[in-house]
Amino acid sequence: MNILRSSKENIIEESRKIPYYSITILAIIILGCIFANIIMPYDPTYMNLAQISQSPRVNHLFGTDTLGRDIFSMIWYGGRISLFIGILATVISTTIAIVYGCISGLMGKHIDDAMMRFTEIVLSIPSILIVIFIQAIIGQSNAVSIAFSIGITSWMNISKIVRSEVRQIRNSEYILAARSMGGGFFYILRKHLLPNFISSIMFMVVTNIGYAIGTEATLSFLGIGLPVEIISWGSLMALSQKALLSNFWWIILIPGIFLITTLVCITNIGNYIRKKNNREFSNL
Amino acid sequence: MRKRIIKLVLNKIFQFLLVMFLLSLIVFYMARLSPGDPLKSYYGESVERMSIAQQEAAMERLGLDEPIYLQYTKWIENAAAGDFGISFKYKQDVMKVIGDVYENTLILGGLAYILNFGLALLLGVFCALHEEEWIDRIICKIGVVTNCIPAFFISLVFILIFGVNLAILPTSGAYSIGQSQNIMDRLVHLILPLAVLVLGHLWYYTYMVRNKLLEETRQDYVLLCKVKGLSKRQIMWKHCLKNIMPSFISIMAISIPHILGGTYVVEKVFSYPGLGTLSFESAQFHDYNMLLVLCLITGAVVVTANITAQIINEIIDPRMKYERGDLQ
Repeated sequence: MNILRSSKENIIEESRKIPYYSITILAIIILGCIFANIIMPYDPTYMNLAQISQSPRVNHLFGTDTLGRDIFSMIWYGGRISLFIGILATVISTTIAIVYGCISGLMGKHIDDAMMRFTEIVLSIPSILIVIFIQAIIGQSNAVSIAFSIGITSWMNISKIVRSEVRQIRNSEYILAARSMGGGFFYILRKHLLPNFISSIMFMVVTNIGYAIGTEATLSFLGIGLPVEIISWGSLMALSQKALLSNFWWIILIPGIFLITTLVCITNIGNYIRKKNNREFSNL
Repeated sequence: MRKRIIKLVLNKIFQFLLVMFLLSLIVFYMARLSPGDPLKSYYGESVERMSIAQQEAAMERLGLDEPIYLQYTKWIENAAAGDFGISFKYKQDVMKVIGDVYENTLILGGLAYILNFGLALLLGVFCALHEEEWIDRIICKIGVVTNCIPAFFISLVFILIFGVNLAILPTSGAYSIGQSQNIMDRLVHLILPLAVLVLGHLWYYTYMVRNKLLEETRQDYVLLCKVKGLSKRQIMWKHCLKNIMPSFISIMAISIPHILGGTYVVEKVFSYPGLGTLSFESAQFHDYNMLLVLCLITGAVVVTANITAQIINEIIDPRMKYERGDLQ
């Protein structure tokens, strides 16, 4: 019994730990991307054909890629687009999720059922396939169109949580009161519903940012995302097919390490938020 | 009793058909309303040399000039007879193109699925038995990191290490030229894609198993078992594991789209001929007939899996029936 209790306390104790390392590293990366203009030693889009595929050395800290661009500059510059896509996609998906979830939660049983079935149908197709599909429809892609197609394929899980939270509080007196005084849908959503479920979807929102950044990288790498001229962490690696055969490891590994570090930090922060929210209820 | 089973089965079949119908409707409309020009993917560059009358004739021949709902009813009629149209890119029956490669995806995805869940169960139990010890902490830390790495990046690193530098494993295709019947050769080609799929997904499921088990070990019946004198391992394997099985099976069903999606990406990176490579190609060439069928196949697999999981869960955990009020 003693052992049981002490380990339980351990978990609770651990969940209170704020992930300082992750926050610091993420802050450094974000600041570096914002102030990329100051850090960059070279113009990231300039193709220096005299110095293609150079391994890391003093004047090119991370080497150059197969088009002769400086990787160190490209990482900070490209990070802007990657982070921008991550955040914009998350804003889109969260907005859709909240509106959809609230409507579903407030409606009668049949509409609610139908709406939830619809989310299940959408969930049943691998999201990468839907993203491919939408990309094919949009055609020429830029940062906004990618964020859009990632955003409208990743709202389902959040909207399910929103819906079940809304269903629990929809019959409370304060919502009835607000309604009978003529409060509109968006007023009730903003003033009464949102504050109640924001904490339970927060961790999913944070993990969605990571998911969006990873998906953008995958898409650009596979050639249906951003074109090579628009620099992001994904399109940076799109050239690595060529680099692979010549064994230019730095073109592949260095952008990848930046991408993974960012994703790990985001995941850690997301996990911290999740544990903080439901530490009384379960050990998940 | 028998009536109830028939009713249940009919109900599930109805559910399945409804979902497939809606899915095809949505995908069909999206595909036809999109700006990409299917004529171009069928005739290639020669479209630009055609006169307008020729283009219209071609549109009519391919059935692209009618209103969408008519196209859709026609498509459904043909589909019911087993004719899903021709692939604009391959100029062949869609089913024929898919029939040539679907086995590859089935093998890769199926093996990845079995390995993932087998290993997730073992590793999850191991972690739960050693909760909060150093080994568990290390596995957790490594797991979080591997879970964050995008599949294409692991693939790249593996190709770099095993394909380029060590040159011991093949990095593309499903078999070497002329070796399509050689099972050993096929297995060697499967190693890297499989390793990527397992590494990329394993931790997610292990973590779920571990947490479910940790919740379970805090229940009162575990104390009773302990008092009875059962060892830790016995309690874990015989009692806790049985109790988490329903949620494990649900997770297995929900995870199919994830693993399938992962398979698609990995196939593309390793240029492994399969449904994934096909779907990327058909997206790039606006080959909507193909993409439509691929979406439907994927959807059918996933919906079937979900329904199967529900049925299995009802068999192993009768409480679920009572909750739904079926057994009265």
